Amino acid sequence: MNETYRPVHAAAGEEQISVSLKEVSFGYDPEHPILQDITLAVPQGQWVSIVGPNGCGKSTLVKLLNALLPKSGGEIVICGHKLEEETISDIRQCIGMVFQNPDNQFIGATVEEDILFGLEGLCLPYAEMESRLHVYAAKLGIDHLMSKHPGELSGGQKQRVAIASILAMEPGIVIFDEASSMLDEGSRNELLGILQEMRTEGKYTILMITHDADEILAADRVVALAGGQIIADVTPEELFRDEVLLAECHLQMPYPWRLARELHRRGIDAGVAADEKELIDRIWPFNYNK
Amino acid sequence: MVMNEKLLLGRSIETGSWVHRLDARAKLTGMIVYVAIILLSRSWLALALLAVFSLTVMASTRIPLKYFIKAAKPLRYLMLFIFIVQMLSVKEGAVWFSAGSFSLHEEGLRLGAFSVIRMVFLITFTALLTFTTTPGKLNQGLEGILSPFRRLGLSPDRITLMISIALRFIPTILDEAQIIMKAQASRGADLQELSLKEKAKMLVSLLVPVISSAFRRAQDLVYSMEARGFRMDARRSRYHRPKWGGADTAFIAMFVVLGIAIVIL
Repeated sequence: MNETYRPVHAAAGEEQISVSLKEVSFGYDPEHPILQDITLAVPQGQWVSIVGPNGCGKSTLVKLLNALLPKSGGEIVICGHKLEEETISDIRQCIGMVFQNPDNQFIGATVEEDILFGLEGLCLPYAEMESRLHVYAAKLGIDHLMSKHPGELSGGQKQRVAIASILAMEPGIVIFDEASSMLDEGSRNELLGILQEMRTEGKYTILMITHDADEILAADRVVALAGGQIIADVTPEELFRDEVLLAECHLQMPYPWRLARELHRRGIDAGVAADEKELIDRIWPFNYNK
Repeated sequence: MVMNEKLLLGRSIETGSWVHRLDARAKLTGMIVYVAIILLSRSWLALALLAVFSLTVMASTRIPLKYFIKAAKPLRYLMLFIFIVQMLSVKEGAVWFSAGSFSLHEEGLRLGAFSVIRMVFLITFTALLTFTTTPGKLNQGLEGILSPFRRLGLSPDRITLMISIALRFIPTILDEAQIIMKAQASRGADLQELSLKEKAKMLVSLLVPVISSAFRRAQDLVYSMEARGFRMDARRSRYHRPKWGGADTAFIAMFVVLGIAIVIL
């Protein structure tokens, strides 16, 4: 375990970086760039939340990484492949993307066909497709839905199918582009659970565009965008402590944080809790001690 | 979902009969031969033979007959129209009824009835294809049937991709149209109270949001397909590989024999 934290040689260090952007810009009109001067490096296995107000270029930024949109300038390196016309298909194999609308990313007529769409594109042999189909369907808990049409599934189930389809292609980087914003609270928590499992496995570098406080808090690192530029690159705790930054990103503090702050103002020091359960554990002794 | 109930297009009904298990290519070929046979049936005897054959095959799929009838139902007015046109325009054979310049001839009635019966067979029997074959398999069968045209510069992959995406999104877009209609009704635009001219105007105000949203969906879908590494005309492997068996050859032979019998009659 220790090895990953030890400073490594330059050559080996480069391999550890999954996503690297150097002075990347994008815009249809050079006078009004949508993104400018984005420099960012994400090491393998890190979970990064990308936050910012609507229209700040978050979605555009992630679409540059696998050339869904063409960058206007700068250099992008994904898993050791420099982004160029010839490397696009290699890079797309490294990156899986889950989008916002569960309906519009369902390509197949059934769950099975949707998972197979990516696998057939990779030209995998039959046995490999068969095994991945079952492994990833079971992993996402959708193995009983294989012959269902998208119309018969709930939003949360469709999002699970999208994730299964993408993980089955075994990418090193998985990007969630507001993947939970059209889901209900229950499905949103389930999605967060899936992401936490993915982190535990350690195989995936996760980039997640989100406005959800719980999702931001679960990440290792937060990159905040505003006006087409990176305005902060901090930990989730640092972000939520910085009220100016929160306002700039149009974000709210997570509920336990807000409650703890309010308690602090009234003279009860409940500290900083990571989630509701921890907060409850800190608050109940106060009543008990009275 | 209500729309899906009405929409029999591309809906398969699984019963596990021998027709379900056939290769989609065999079924497609069979259907093409069947259409030719319908066009060749010119006598009552031929139609009777066709009826016996069609009903036997339909029954053997174990799909209730009412589904086949449902498939033909939306076209009942078209059939009536064809019948009337044929009846009025053909002025041959014995006169059955006449009033002034208006007259009904035996040949007209016969041809009208013929057209309608042929049309019923055409629709009900070809519905068998979509009832017994899942859209995925049907598409693959189509790709197989079209593959000889590859040399002529036609891309079967593109055609089948187009069809499968269309089939996939038709219910979604219909559902959306219904939501927009309800949204407009909730703002006081009640279709039932409007005059025909205003209804037409409403239709335009329905089409614009539906079409613009379809474009947005298309853009999302393209992103999603490209992100999963899709490239037009790139090589792909196949998970479901169709297998041609003796039953498939027999199925086509059956149609050929029927065709020959009908031509001889």
